[in-house]
Amino acid sequence: MSQCVECGAVLSAPICCDNCGAIFDPPPGTDHFSLLGFPRVYALDEDRLAQDFRRLTAKVHPDRHARRSEDVRELATRLTADLNRAYAVVSDGARRADYLLELAGGPTASEERGVPGDLLAEVMEVREALEQARGVGDRRTIERLRQVNESKRRQTLDEIAALASAIETASVRQRQRLRLLLNALRYFENLTTELA
Amino acid sequence: MKQDGDIIIGIDLGTTNSLVAFADAAGPRLIAGGGGDDDVIVPSFVRFEADGRTIVGEAARDHAVEHPLETVYSIKRLMGRGSAELAEEARRLPYRVEKLSGVEGRDVAAVVAGGRTWTPPQVSALILGELKRRAEAYFGREVRKAVITVPAQFDDAQRQATRDAGLIAGLEVVRIVNEPTAAALAYGLDRASSKMIAVYDFGGGTFDISLLRVEGGVFEVLAVDGDTHLGGDDLDRTLIELFSGEIREQSGHDIDSPAIRQQLRSLAEAVKVRLSDEDRTSVEIAVGASFTYRRQVTKTELEALIAPFVDRTLEACRRALKAAKRSAAEVAEVVLVGGSTRIPLVRRAVGELFGRRPYTALNPEHVVALGAAVQASILSGSRQDLLLLDVTPLSLGIETLGGAVGKLIGANTRVPCKAVETFTTFQDGQTAVKINVLQGERELAADCRSLGVFELRGVPPMPAGMPKVEVMFLIDANGILNVSARESRSGVEASIQIVPSHGLTREEVRRMQREAVEHAREDMSAHHLIDVRATVEFDLNKAERMIREHGALLAPADRASLSEAAAALRALARESCDARFINERREAFNRRLIPLAESALTEALKT
Repeated sequence: MSQCVECGAVLSAPICCDNCGAIFDPPPGTDHFSLLGFPRVYALDEDRLAQDFRRLTAKVHPDRHARRSEDVRELATRLTADLNRAYAVVSDGARRADYLLELAGGPTASEERGVPGDLLAEVMEVREALEQARGVGDRRTIERLRQVNESKRRQTLDEIAALASAIETASVRQRQRLRLLLNALRYFENLTTELA
Repeated sequence: MKQDGDIIIGIDLGTTNSLVAFADAAGPRLIAGGGGDDDVIVPSFVRFEADGRTIVGEAARDHAVEHPLETVYSIKRLMGRGSAELAEEARRLPYRVEKLSGVEGRDVAAVVAGGRTWTPPQVSALILGELKRRAEAYFGREVRKAVITVPAQFDDAQRQATRDAGLIAGLEVVRIVNEPTAAALAYGLDRASSKMIAVYDFGGGTFDISLLRVEGGVFEVLAVDGDTHLGGDDLDRTLIELFSGEIREQSGHDIDSPAIRQQLRSLAEAVKVRLSDEDRTSVEIAVGASFTYRRQVTKTELEALIAPFVDRTLEACRRALKAAKRSAAEVAEVVLVGGSTRIPLVRRAVGELFGRRPYTALNPEHVVALGAAVQASILSGSRQDLLLLDVTPLSLGIETLGGAVGKLIGANTRVPCKAVETFTTFQDGQTAVKINVLQGERELAADCRSLGVFELRGVPPMPAGMPKVEVMFLIDANGILNVSARESRSGVEASIQIVPSHGLTREEVRRMQREAVEHAREDMSAHHLIDVRATVEFDLNKAERMIREHGALLAPADRASLSEAAAALRALARESCDARFINERREAFNRRLIPLAESALTEALKT
């Protein structure tokens, strides 16, 4: 852990000092995890993350520096924006996995747009079945479709979690698999909205 | 009232009513005007007189029927908007709405009243000026900073217009706060336990729903939704349409005169208010000399008329819950804000949706200003145990090839937030790039609101596609967009020229600011009147003492006429509202007093 440039205290996060309240730009190349003072891993305590995020926000938020110079206020705004972005990514399982994959060298969503196996055909079938069920007001079928989709979504998330947890040692094939699963998750999530 | 440092006041700049408040360690309180402790509401009405004077507040509202063309109200609905998009709205307003001239490439709405053109920020500035004066009278010193509230759904242009209004009124707007968030702040001040609250804010012109999580002094907005064009005004309008349709049918009169429109508006509002307590009420309105329209209106009838609007608010509530990924049952408390929540149907519907009785202990018309004052106290440093974390209500994007929208920041993202996008050139040696920045949830650029065209200049000349201009879009804690750009190959800071679609440029705001100062100097307004009256009283006391002590030096007739003149001046100061005239009479009276003052002095030197 580095030290505060103002007072020398040991820093728990690279953007503010718990001791003297100073705020500063993080070192170049700081990732979303270290901005929040967390190690770069998939498995993390989400409650603690939420608490730490709130504690950091309370320190860097522009309202806490409203009477400082314009430069400090601008820095506070920028840091809070970075913090909000980091938290949005790290606090969400799928986005966290996606980000870890990117840090590990990808492929990213724009480099690989594919999905596993017959997913597209499956999704199309679900949509057709849904349309049909809606047409005749068949609520039981819609409920069944919803349950099937939900269990697939969970399965996918579980596999994503397993792969992302071992991202440091993942092979090229495993990273490829993780990419396809992350892409697939989008389809299940869209279906969740449609089936609601 | 002693205050160290800059005073920051909290202002609720409402569609129908505006209020000003202040908070210190003891908590927030409303600042009253000259009419006593209950005189806390300044109706958002401005009358423009032919001689250039402006009358703000109650006096303007109470005589709106006699001056339909000169009385501007609901100006908030015009803030940051173009005349084209307001065409339908403008037809229903008695005063004239036009497109501001001399602003090429933009469509800024303006009103014409008192023989000149006013932009909405200028009209709002007059209301803010009145609130500022009240605060200054309260503190006995100048007030230069304010927190002003806006509907959560206000877009960038509407927020900028609000900030401009502050500047024109001589107020630095240190923060724009969303109204429902401000209400939550006032409501949840002393509540330490963690819980979810919903703020249902149905005002005169806008509807907002906000879901917040409150824990340990941190107020975190989870999601907002709403409609910037849905409010009490719309409910009144259904009644106006009902009445005017029937009047036309029964009398054959064409009643579309500004005066009747204004009269019907007041009547509709009164009916709405009366039916909040009673089951039926009667209306009566004289149309011309020969016809009087009379009718009974029942609560059931009113509720049927306004039910579609209430349904729209419930839809927004459901969308907000969905965005926050919460269910109605998780909401621990529902807070009602805004005058329209006094309507029993609204209370019933909200209670049913959330499965609990809404909290109504705070006055729904006061709570926003009180919350603004609390946020002001956070910014001034007098309260350090609270923090407000808000979200942006609308998605931010840029127009891409083919008129589609490339989304940069999603709705309900915590603010401040930022996105960085890289742009390049299409032609060799191209040094400028235009970016159309949009706000809204639709897929096509044409269906979203354009905030303006941002033109990047100073891109170093390179072959097409080579420059990489990194543009940072940053939405600050006010919900206002700031854009900066840098060419990453050369490191050159590109400059950005912004042409706001419906807003004013910095130069225009500065000019209006100067005009407002000059206008205030010329205009013998309410504030001046108070000053002049106080001076009159001071001078009269001095004169009367002089007459008492040295009156014997004058002939009895002269003495009597001087006393009479003093009494006349006192009566004039009390009754007249013309500060300039009162001041002239005061000076005339003081001139009449000179001989006595001289005699008194001579007398004093003799002894």
